Amino acid sequence: MKEQLSQIRETALAAVAAAADSAAIEELRVRFLGKKGEVSAILKSLGQLSAEERPLMGQLANEVRADIEAAITEKKAALGKAALAARLESEKIDITMPAKAGTVGGLHPLNTVLADMIDIFQSMGFDVVDGPEVETDYYNFEALNIPADHPARDMQDTFYLGENILLRTQTSAAQIRTMKDRKPPIRIVCPGRVFRADEVDATHSPVFHQMEGLVVDKGITMCDLKGVLEQFAHEIYGPDTKVKFRPSFFPFTEPSVEVDVTCSECGGKGCRVCKGSGWIEILGAGMVHPNVLRACGIDPEEYSGFAFGIGLDRLTTTRYKISDIRLLFENDKRFLEQF
Amino acid sequence: MKISLEALKYYVDINVSVEELCDRMVMAGFEVEEIVDLSADMKNVVVGKIESIVPHPDSDHLQICQVNVGTEVQQIVTGAQNVFVGAYVPAALHDSYLPGGVHIKKGKLRGVESVGMLCSGEELNLKDCDYPGAEVNGIMIMDDKYPAGTDMREVLGLFDYVIDFKITANRPDCQCIIGVAKEISVVLGVPFRAPKTEYTTVGDDINNYVKIDVENYELCPRYVGRFVKNLRIKESPRWLKHCLTASGMRPINNIVDITNFVMLETGQPMHAFNYDQLEGKHIIVRNARAGESIQTLDEKKYDLNEEMLVIADGEKPSCLAGIMGGLESEIENDTKNLFLESAKFKRDNIRRTGRTLGIRTEASGRFEKGVDVMNVSYAMDRALSLICDLDAGDIVEGVIDRNEGLPEDRVITTTGKAICDLLGLEIPTDRMVEILSSLGLGTTLDGDTITCRVPSIRSDIEGKADLAEEVMRIYGYDHIVGTPMRGAVMRGRLLPQRLAENRIKAAMTALGAREIMTYSFISSKAIGMLGLAEDDERMKAVKILNPLGDEYSTMRTQLTTSMLTVLSTNYNRKIPAVRMYEVSKRFIPKSLPVTEQPYELPTMSIGLYGSDEDFFTLKGMVEKVFAEFGVTARYERAAEPYLHPGRQAVATVGGEAVAVLGEVHPDAVKAFSLAERTYIAEIKLDKLLTAEKPKVLYKALPKFPAVSRDFALLCDIDLPAGEIEETIRSAAGKLCEKVELFDLYIGSQIPEGMKSIAYNVSLRSADGTLDDEQIDRVVSKIVKKLAEIGANLRG
Repeated sequence: MKEQLSQIRETALAAVAAAADSAAIEELRVRFLGKKGEVSAILKSLGQLSAEERPLMGQLANEVRADIEAAITEKKAALGKAALAARLESEKIDITMPAKAGTVGGLHPLNTVLADMIDIFQSMGFDVVDGPEVETDYYNFEALNIPADHPARDMQDTFYLGENILLRTQTSAAQIRTMKDRKPPIRIVCPGRVFRADEVDATHSPVFHQMEGLVVDKGITMCDLKGVLEQFAHEIYGPDTKVKFRPSFFPFTEPSVEVDVTCSECGGKGCRVCKGSGWIEILGAGMVHPNVLRACGIDPEEYSGFAFGIGLDRLTTTRYKISDIRLLFENDKRFLEQF
Repeated sequence: MKISLEALKYYVDINVSVEELCDRMVMAGFEVEEIVDLSADMKNVVVGKIESIVPHPDSDHLQICQVNVGTEVQQIVTGAQNVFVGAYVPAALHDSYLPGGVHIKKGKLRGVESVGMLCSGEELNLKDCDYPGAEVNGIMIMDDKYPAGTDMREVLGLFDYVIDFKITANRPDCQCIIGVAKEISVVLGVPFRAPKTEYTTVGDDINNYVKIDVENYELCPRYVGRFVKNLRIKESPRWLKHCLTASGMRPINNIVDITNFVMLETGQPMHAFNYDQLEGKHIIVRNARAGESIQTLDEKKYDLNEEMLVIADGEKPSCLAGIMGGLESEIENDTKNLFLESAKFKRDNIRRTGRTLGIRTEASGRFEKGVDVMNVSYAMDRALSLICDLDAGDIVEGVIDRNEGLPEDRVITTTGKAICDLLGLEIPTDRMVEILSSLGLGTTLDGDTITCRVPSIRSDIEGKADLAEEVMRIYGYDHIVGTPMRGAVMRGRLLPQRLAENRIKAAMTALGAREIMTYSFISSKAIGMLGLAEDDERMKAVKILNPLGDEYSTMRTQLTTSMLTVLSTNYNRKIPAVRMYEVSKRFIPKSLPVTEQPYELPTMSIGLYGSDEDFFTLKGMVEKVFAEFGVTARYERAAEPYLHPGRQAVATVGGEAVAVLGEVHPDAVKAFSLAERTYIAEIKLDKLLTAEKPKVLYKALPKFPAVSRDFALLCDIDLPAGEIEETIRSAAGKLCEKVELFDLYIGSQIPEGMKSIAYNVSLRSADGTLDDEQIDRVVSKIVKKLAEIGANLRG
């Protein structure tokens, strides 16, 4: 019987080792370890043995059984692993094939730029306010120190809707509404749409966008204006950008300046974009005119302030190198998708 | 303001390059639009003296000239017949350039060598006024003033630059050579040389010749007249003509040129009348009378109205005040006597008259910007001085000066500290006084107190802020050093509407929609294209009184038209599918015609086309917008004429219409040239903004399993799905977790006029696992309620 058992073990282990798939393994399990299997048959026949032999043979038979079981388990795992490897190999894909992209929309480029600007000024403590696009003569001109016969009215060709009702030519109108609404300290920006009777071409549009900024408090100086604009320029154009003030004229600020920044294309060396000057004009600004403060009931002897107006369309076209402003309002999907 | 650099040098020594001059002027507030190098157009063209002429052997019209060009004699072949031995002519040598970029090289004409070309006036782009005889047919024959070999640019005064200064609206005093020259003198720190204003008269008395009355001093605060007899009309000297042409004016004769030059020089327009054409020898400054008209120098006739100011003689208007003279009193070559005017006219009156009649002249432009009342007599003296110098006539003694009082210098007092506080700089007070004085403001210092006497010509200076600007632009803006934001720490806030719009835009981005931006005005025809009824609110639009054209004439009352136009643009460019939205304003008038600002109401449009789009994808997007406001809408059939009658809905919230959505009607598809199936929604955001975004609160996750049951129903084809869904929800009560439509069938397998519609209903209780009895009870209630509305379970 002992020989018989070792014979079984040998045969079984060899067969398990040779088994090719899990079906063959199962067959071997039944053949050797099943209820009617060879090892079971041995165990059943133990009763015929002597009392001395029985425990010895029983122990041996159990050992043989355990060995075969272990071999089967191990072989099963090995076969499973091989099968998985084969499946994974067969499932190989060409990872250079195109992605299945979900469609995500997006903001209009003007509003992408506006969002950046709002973020910059909001972080400097500016409230973001709104004003009407249809204004009265008073808010658009009169209160901004542009009386009826002032030549500055010629600077901006105005669309009229009725007597003294017009499409605002500048977001500066919002300065007046804000100063009449709030007491200093005031720190606001007002983005919005403005209108001037310019024929449509690659660089002109009768509809464009500005962001007006206004700060009124005690002791505000022109250096403060430059500080805020430098901060803005650094965020928009990069930390090495320099800001230059050039004297100019706006009826509602005094002194008034045009503000240039070093050309972001050439870094100030001079190129085609800046027409060789190294500078690009980005906005107009100045100290709020005492007449404007007075018109809003703020004492110019006690308070001072600054204001600035940034052209959004220009900022957008220079940022993205858009050659024709009309593209912004045409809304070709292939254009919009680029931003 | 275009000024010749050479002309400026007459008033101020310019010891820097033209580029540096311009850079420094820009930093003082005078932008330079353009610098034109007058010498750039012509190169290697010299005065040539013809030594000999022989005919060309192989041509009957060409002639071979030996031309002395200074250093040598060169052979030049010409086709012109007016050349002669000894003539001084312009000779373009080998490798020369003529105006217009013409490049001349040596070559052979019918076998005979020619080193260049003899030039006509036309080839040098010259008119008779540039050089006498320039317009002659043939070669330009010159006098012997310049020897052979002289660069033609020297002869023509082209070694010069014309600088075009952009003068800001607050500096009308710089609309002239003197104004700019004074600024240059301050900027460069060199003295200003005032031109001569002295002259001699021949005695006599102006009052013997003319009487002047001003009837309207409001429109004409000052009128100065002088009389010059025995005019000697002739051509002006070259320097004078050069000055005029550099500034874009055409020389005519000495008297007219003097008036034009004085205007360029002093900024004060002058007008010369042919005295002998003035009826009654009486000048009356008055408003035009109804029915009067005038024929002006440009030979056009204008009908006048009573708001227009004229200079009349005893009979009729002789000049449109400040704008243009009358043809009848024009100065001509045989004019004997001159009445000369220098006056100030009110700027907005000149502007209004000019606009009404459609005339704008150099003079009217200056009056519109504003001339100085004190400069009126200065300019007159300057003109007389030139008449005297050029011997253009005999100046009669006496001036008639009509005004109602002239202004005194204004006195402005401030302190050095006040100016420093505004600028944020420490500028020494002495330096401020020095700058202000150099600008012609009589300035004194007492302690820290600065007192300025501001002459009337600087009407722009009103107070300390203006003085600060004057100081700063000369002291230099590069002294301003930025200081970081100071003051109380404030948090920048956004308005609720902007926050709501940001949420909507984020949702639209997630849904794959692109934001568009379109003009706020549309064409008047575009509204009509929607086929709206006459009394529809959207037909009552605000019109622009002075639009750029009909295309941009009407303030939009809805965004649909703009969206359809954009969809059309994209479709016609063969873009297969588009999802777009716009958030903007619609303009609804409070009254028409407009007497007050219209309502500006926040509005949104959504537009789609493409194979994946249908009414329900649009509805899904609209619902996402509603979800951002936490509202649920009811949908009812709508009747918009531009939408498919069976595929459109109005969404209401609390009984109020907040959106219209649907498939575009085939007629509108055709009118706008759209994709066959195009979908559009317009949402009145103003109706939603009042709704607060709901607070988000956590709900416990389900502890017990859900049960799912399908209901396959057969019902009338017109029974709305919305009603079926609502019936299921209300029947299932609080156990209802989800109701989902998963199948719809209309066709031959079921009776005509019926549809098969199938729902999956998910039931769940928060209190425990639902048992069969509970489920059966709910299911049979659902079935019963559905049967009541005519939806029966399919067998």
